[in-house]
This record gives sequence, C-alpha cells and structure tokens, in this order.
Amino acid sequence: MNRDGFFRLLSDLDDRLIEEAIRCAPEEASGAPERIVKMKKKRIITLVLAAALILALGVTAWATGFFSMLTRRPDPDETFRITWYDGPGGYVEWTDAKLAVTFPETAVSKEIQFRPGWLPEEMASMDRDNWRWRFTAEMLAGQGVYQDMSQPLQIQAYAMSQFNNGGALLLLYYRPDAISEDHWDEQGVDVLCFHGVNHLDAEPAFNVPERDLQQNFVVLANEEAGWVVTLSGEISLEDMMKVARNLEIRETGKMLSYGDFEDHYAFFDGGIG
Amino acid sequence: MEDSRIIDLFLERSEQAIGELGKKYGALVTKTAVNILHDPQDAEECANDTWLAVWNSIPPHRPDPLAAYVCRIARNLAISRYRANTAAKRDAGFELVLDELAEVVPSGVDLEKELEARELLAAVERFLAMLDRDDRVLFVRRYWFADSVKELAAASHSRESRISARLFRLRGKLRNYLKKEGLLV
Repeated sequence: MNRDGFFRLLSDLDDRLIEEAIRCAPEEASGAPERIVKMKKKRIITLVLAAALILALGVTAWATGFFSMLTRRPDPDETFRITWYDGPGGYVEWTDAKLAVTFPETAVSKEIQFRPGWLPEEMASMDRDNWRWRFTAEMLAGQGVYQDMSQPLQIQAYAMSQFNNGGALLLLYYRPDAISEDHWDEQGVDVLCFHGVNHLDAEPAFNVPERDLQQNFVVLANEEAGWVVTLSGEISLEDMMKVARNLEIRETGKMLSYGDFEDHYAFFDGGIG
Repeated sequence: MEDSRIIDLFLERSEQAIGELGKKYGALVTKTAVNILHDPQDAEECANDTWLAVWNSIPPHRPDPLAAYVCRIARNLAISRYRANTAAKRDAGFELVLDELAEVVPSGVDLEKELEARELLAAVERFLAMLDRDDRVLFVRRYWFADSVKELAAASHSRESRISARLFRLRGKLRNYLKKEGLLV
C-alpha cells in the first residue's frame, strides 16, 4: 500500500473525528457569534480566578520562605488563564487540571543544561553525552520492557522567569497520590515526588475501554538560581529518583528574563515539548 | 441557516440549497481543496464539483453531520484531481504531508482488499480515540485536512518546531500501535 492510498483511506474516518477537527479549526473558532459570547463570559471568570490565585498564593506563600514549590489541587471547574501575549486572544485557558505547582516570582533565571549521569540499562542506546534542555525516551516506547508504555521518561528544564508574568504555573492533568517534599543539599534543590493517574473515559464507538494512564513525577526547583527540572514518565519512581539524583546540571552563564521567551507558559503534561 | 434546513432545501430540490450550503461551508470546502491542490482555480472548480455532488446525493442521503459529509466529498474530489495533475503542478507542501504518512504506511495491508482496508481504518480510529483531544485534532488537521505546520502552529500559539515534533511523536505512536495490532510488519 502506498502513501497516497493511505491518505485516501483516511477520507472514511468517522464523522465525529472530522467534526471535532472542524470545530477546532482556527477559522471556525473565531467566526461564530455564539462562541464569542461564551468567551467573553469565560474571560471575566478567569480574570477573577487569576486575581484570586495571586492573592491566595502569590503573596502569602512566598512570604513564608520555606519550601520553594507550592502545590494545590484546583477545583474541577476552575479555569487557568495563562498570558501568551498582550491583546485579544493572547492567552490560553486550561480547565480540569488536577494539580497546579507555583514557584517564586523570579525576574531572571540562570540558564542551565543537563545530561543524565545514570539511566536504566534498557536506555543504554540513548545518547547521554550531550548537554541538553530536553530529553525523551519516547522512541523506546512499545518495545522490549517498555512494550506497554507510551512515554518511559521525559526530562525538561524550565526557567522560573519564563512564566512568572503569566501565573508561574506548571499544570498537571494526572491526579496525584500523596506528594512528598524533600530537599537535596548536594544539588541545592527542593524536590517534589509523586505518582499520578489520568483517568480516561471509554470510547464505546471505537471499542476503546475506560482506562487509567499512570506516570511518576519528580520536580526539582532551585529557587536561588531560578530554574526547574521536571522528570515524568512510566518507569518506576525508584528509577526516576535515581535518574534525578544523578543528573548533571551546568549553568551556561546566560541569564534569562521573561522577555527572552517566545512563549511564557510551560506544562509538564500539556503535550507541549 | 441550520444544517437541517439546508438539507430540507436539497430534499425540496430548491436551488437556494446550493447558495446556502456555499454560504455556510464555502470557505471550509475551498480550504480543504486548496490544501491539497495549492491552486486557487483548481480549488474553486473542486468546490463547484462538490456542490454538484451534494446536489446529486441528497436525496437519497440525508447526511448528519453535514459539514463532515461535504468536506469528505471535497477531499475525495481534490485527491482525484491531484492524481490527474501533472507532476509539475503538484505542490511540495502536500507532498510533504504524504511523505510523512509514508512513515506509517502499513506494509502488511493490501488496500485493494476491502476487508483489510476496513480493519486498518478501524485501527486508526481506535488509535485516535485513545489520544487526548489536542493530539487527535492535530493529527486530523494535518493528515485529513492537510493543514500546513505553519497554520497549525499559529492556531495553537506554538512554534513550528514544536508542532513538527508533536507530529513526529504521533506518527511514531501510530506506527507502534499498528505494529501491535499486527498491521505493520
């Protein structure tokens, strides 16, 4: 079968998939009057929520000066508005988040790079020599011991200054179990560590059963330098902690402020990478 | 005008039906065609062929949803026209979409055999149903509507490199899924 035939075959995709993609097309999203009204209502609600968030978390939490990351389980109908750029439509909205993590307001961050000093032996084929901002073992998913996984391990570096002006958030769609907090003196970082479950409803029309996606998460934050490193994936929490403890992290010498970033939000579970 | 009213006009054989259909879905149909053909005149002709095909198919059909029905006709007509075009007229943008799909073309499926084609399509639908909505829409916009990476990046306020990376990962996931389903050798 050739590529043209495959493209042609896709013409017969279920109507609901096509309709969903039409609804989400940019020209549709801005055109219908009914939708504009809804957006206006939503905008007011989210502005209020953003203000409440700043009052409740932004000021009082950092004044205490203890642990550098604040976790909160949002209400189910709470909407997060994250500024993208000034002007109409210059923001994104996220609902149904299961966990919000906020960081100290940092005007500038030290840019860092990392490389894994230790990886599970099944990841022996992965390059561990190069310094980087992002690491993913996704290409190993569906093979060998990672047969049933879709993301064995992903590591990403962020700067706190990257998203402070937009709310200083990492949002998670996995519902966390117990969250443990720690401090690792040798790396000078505060550490969050937990297991999370993302429940997905059944799709009877496609014969896909109800299911739970599970991942482990480790978040490292260096308040003084202003950086955050997140580790997430389906390998065991024990292995993930070992990867985190053995991460080599170096500063590039560059200072990053809010204006250095093209986008000002980051999610470790937003499908953005 | 509501879709049901437009369909009623077709059923009544009122010529107003085509005007209303064009008013509501003209931009969408032309966009679907132009993404494949990359030629405004060809796309316009394709849109006109689409209105005629809808006119000839309602009745007996009474499609619901109408938008997907109309877009599907436009897509199929555009593909046929694209195949008939000379190589010189083919656009690099759409060729890129096809090349990306080539990475996941199952080698173990004979599309000429209807049963195998149906099994493959069902597997792709199951795969899409398992994705989160953003990834599902991204996949369909790219590989059904043939939207450019630039458009997709603008629509999601993201960088083109990030969209390309997400599409790359989605193709990899689909490849693995089809392998698991025994459709990819």
